Amino acid sequence: MVSGKGGVGKSAVAAGLALLAQRRGQRVLAMEMGSPGGLSAHFGTGALGFQPREVRPGLHAMQMVRSDALLEYLAIQLNIRGFSGFGPFARAFDALATTAPGIREIITIGKAIWEVKEDRWDVVIADAPPTGQIGSYLRAPSTIAELVPGGKVRAQADMMRDMLADPKITEMVLVTLPEELPTTETEETMDWLAAEKVIPSPRLIANRVLLELTDPSTPPGPLGEAAELHRALWRGQQEWLRRLPPEHQLPYLFGVFTPGEVAARMCDEFETIT
Amino acid sequence: MTATLLVTGGGGVGKTTVAAAIAIRAARTGLRTLVVTVDPARRLATTLGVTNLGNEPQPHEDEPNLWAAMLDASASWRAVAMRHADPDVAIRLADNEFFRAASEHFPASQAYAAADQAATFVQAKAWDLVVVDTPPSGGGIDFFTAPAQMADLVGGRLLRWMTGGPLPGRRLLFNAAGRPMLRMAGSILGSDLLERVAEFLLDLRTTYDGVSRRGREIEQVMRSAAILVVTTSDPAPVWEAIKFYRELPKLASTPAAVVFNRILPEGWATATSPVGASPVLANNLARWSAETVRQRDVRDEFSARYGAQVATIPWSMSPPTDLDGLAGMLEDAHGMPWGSFGIE
Repeated sequence: MVSGKGGVGKSAVAAGLALLAQRRGQRVLAMEMGSPGGLSAHFGTGALGFQPREVRPGLHAMQMVRSDALLEYLAIQLNIRGFSGFGPFARAFDALATTAPGIREIITIGKAIWEVKEDRWDVVIADAPPTGQIGSYLRAPSTIAELVPGGKVRAQADMMRDMLADPKITEMVLVTLPEELPTTETEETMDWLAAEKVIPSPRLIANRVLLELTDPSTPPGPLGEAAELHRALWRGQQEWLRRLPPEHQLPYLFGVFTPGEVAARMCDEFETIT
Repeated sequence: MTATLLVTGGGGVGKTTVAAAIAIRAARTGLRTLVVTVDPARRLATTLGVTNLGNEPQPHEDEPNLWAAMLDASASWRAVAMRHADPDVAIRLADNEFFRAASEHFPASQAYAAADQAATFVQAKAWDLVVVDTPPSGGGIDFFTAPAQMADLVGGRLLRWMTGGPLPGRRLLFNAAGRPMLRMAGSILGSDLLERVAEFLLDLRTTYDGVSRRGREIEQVMRSAAILVVTTSDPAPVWEAIKFYRELPKLASTPAAVVFNRILPEGWATATSPVGASPVLANNLARWSAETVRQRDVRDEFSARYGAQVATIPWSMSPPTDLDGLAGMLEDAHGMPWGSFGIE
């Protein structure tokens, strides 16, 4: 599960990790769990569908579609098949999902867990919802278990909760930036995770980290101005890196890169640190 | 006449800072100005004097004409719905676990509460300009769609489906249990659960007139407001900005400008290092030069493709933390549509 505050580059990190696993010959499923478009841009594939599509040899990618996931959940998890009038049902379900807590989230996270349970993949990498929303997804199995006293749904929820919390099955990566707001939001998320214990403790990756300039001089003109800006930004970043030390740092990418190039760069970086 | 400026944009682009800077500038041109913000960084909150909780506008100690208020991000539309409910219904709602859950988890609920509070400030007619730093929930667009979403939820779309009737009474609810889809849903979730949801929706339905009337008032405030979309030149915020720029004309009004924050000096695009320069610094300049070119390309494409007015704010070495620093960040801004929100 790869999460982080919006705009920190978590889709790029998820894509980079998926490419790394693929390079190492693993069977990989990359899943867009939150808003669509992030992963597909980094794979350069165009819009993804609910059915996993092979985007590189051995690397499949898919996008969460809640109504499809619900059908699959009913059919496979609960053994309810073949009801008609799905259109109205889907619309009504959507309304129910906005009212009753945990339903939207359990369908989404349930799909990811089901793909892990299946023996089709060596690793499932989820581009998860941002940290602002991740709590309600990770807590969804517990929420459902509190609301539904028994039956199939309850049993499924208990199973999901156990798999999510199992460090042999689930890992979480939080992506952050060395800036004030991403740092404080990441700290809050880590505190929440430590208290709720719904998932093993996360690994922290800081993105867009500037390297220190080894030349302290400031000549006149743009040469010195660019050096001064770089140093000021670098000093600011160091403050946040000290406050919340990450396990890994990814370098700032200067200039024009397509999302595909960004993911490939990330993958190369991971190659050097793992 | 109160002018209203809604400052929108993705997370991490400096939207709150830009809103604060505009408000200070407005106050210094003599306009009685209220800046309304959500969840500001601590240093900025201190500068604006909004460290205390609660959402009553506070006059700024050092800046005449400036007021600041912080929207209560934890406020749900619970208060709004309760305001429109009869006393006995209100008591039942307060006890209902689905009402509690919906007011906490319904994604539009916080955005609705924020929009409601902001509209209240505008309607108070106590200021010449109200600058609203819109909350980021749901990608920020929730702030604009929340009134309609609320009316839709309260209006009983789900309830109509559950009961099969246009406007069910309490008795009809129990006939509904015979419908095949409900039987199926009941067998999965337990019929008791669905019944509790339906009862909650019936109670909520009684607040419809009040909530939808208030929703129309909020929409009216948004439609007469000026809008700025703030972004940096990074791909994710730009993608958000495009979404705002395309959606907002339908929901409120066409944004007066797209403001690109953290812009590098134009001259760096073509700057080259002198012969004999330190290789470390030359390499550094080349990288920032490439970044400058990329920023310019992003802006050019935005204005060419979407016909947007583009404004720029330079990248400052350190984030401004006092009033003068905030006011100063707009001194070298270009293309700001000051007139559209009443600043000379």
